[in-house]
Amino acid sequence: MAKKRVDTGRGRKTGVVKTAGSVKSARKSASNRVFYLLIAVVAVGAITALTYASTRQRGGTVTSPIDTTLPKVNSQGYVMGSPGAPLEVVEFGDFECPQCGRFTTLTEPDVRTHLINTGQIRYRFIDFPLDMHRNTWNASRAAACADQQGKFWEAHDALFDNQDKWNSEATSNPDKVIKPLLEPLVPDKAKFDKCVDDKATQAKIQAHWQIAMARQVQATPTFEFGDKKVEGFVTYDQFKELVDEQLAKSGKGAPSVGGDTAKKGVVLPVKPGA
Amino acid sequence: MTKRMWMAVISLLGLFLGLYLTLFHYGYIGSLACGVGSCERVQTSTWSVLLGIPLSLWGMGFYALMFILAIAGIQPQYADSRGLSLAMFLLSGWGVLFTAWLDYLQGWVIHGWCEYCLTSGVFVLILFVLSGVEWRQMKSLETEELTAG
Repeated sequence: MAKKRVDTGRGRKTGVVKTAGSVKSARKSASNRVFYLLIAVVAVGAITALTYASTRQRGGTVTSPIDTTLPKVNSQGYVMGSPGAPLEVVEFGDFECPQCGRFTTLTEPDVRTHLINTGQIRYRFIDFPLDMHRNTWNASRAAACADQQGKFWEAHDALFDNQDKWNSEATSNPDKVIKPLLEPLVPDKAKFDKCVDDKATQAKIQAHWQIAMARQVQATPTFEFGDKKVEGFVTYDQFKELVDEQLAKSGKGAPSVGGDTAKKGVVLPVKPGA
Repeated sequence: MTKRMWMAVISLLGLFLGLYLTLFHYGYIGSLACGVGSCERVQTSTWSVLLGIPLSLWGMGFYALMFILAIAGIQPQYADSRGLSLAMFLLSGWGVLFTAWLDYLQGWVIHGWCEYCLTSGVFVLILFVLSGVEWRQMKSLETEELTAG
């Protein structure tokens, strides 16, 4: 038995029983026009926005000026490089932040080889442990404990290289993973373990966090190049461009020298393969 | 505009949202940073990749399929296709379940909310409701037709 078809208003061409003929057809045609217009608007609008956003990113790093009235960084953090370098670059970093890890792995070896070890810049790392990362305070404390034995940068590299083994997605007991990771790097293992267990460096990390807050740091990594700052991962080319720009500015005095490791005359490590 | 037309428009919006997040994932748009907001955190978490493919790319696949089905459903030859309605209903239903799992991850595992992911969740929910209503209408229509026949 053949089914009797009725018009559902969807525009079948064959077998349609038209009830209101031309009026309905006109409505449908208007509806189609609105639909295709809407599709075109969405597509053109989205493609324009995406093109603008990606071009803006390719055009260079997005920097913002630093408010000169903010409290200055004096001796906080860990310093690598010559005290006489004409420019100091400050990184506010979080050991559990994936983008800080990406920067350390991909960009920092070139920064060390071509900019720090050649005396063009001095580099300062300041902890900015974010609330969102449960295990980052443990990492910062452990790195500070390694610093007590002159091994901050070695600990820094080991922590970032092995981020996936101790971060909050990997373990709820980070010290258990971090201690065996850093113990081979320090001369006095017992002293290091005690420092970690006693959370002896907690106040130091809190001081680092406070200077980051005082300087209105919102994200990690944040890099300060003289009077400019940039948030997020940067490539070596982008990093060097910002350094060159600052160095080219005439009459600019280098920021204060100091810092925990600079005082100890640390030997600059360069990661293998850098 | 018919429901299928609205579904096509929403799917297209979702498709571009997925494209934005995919480009963001690969670092082509905006700097990736761990910030005060949680979107970067969600996007850079281990949960943002499934079987080696970013979730945003899976999302794009979902929206592309929904868009194709909705556009096909507008064509005269498929206008009365109940199978097409059922396919869109089931696909968006799966999308709702998947979104619920992602929301659970954001709230209880990653402890951060990504506003783009939540927007996508709203799109999926609208698609589910529209396709559900559409499917019911098609079903009742067919029942009427059979009764009349």
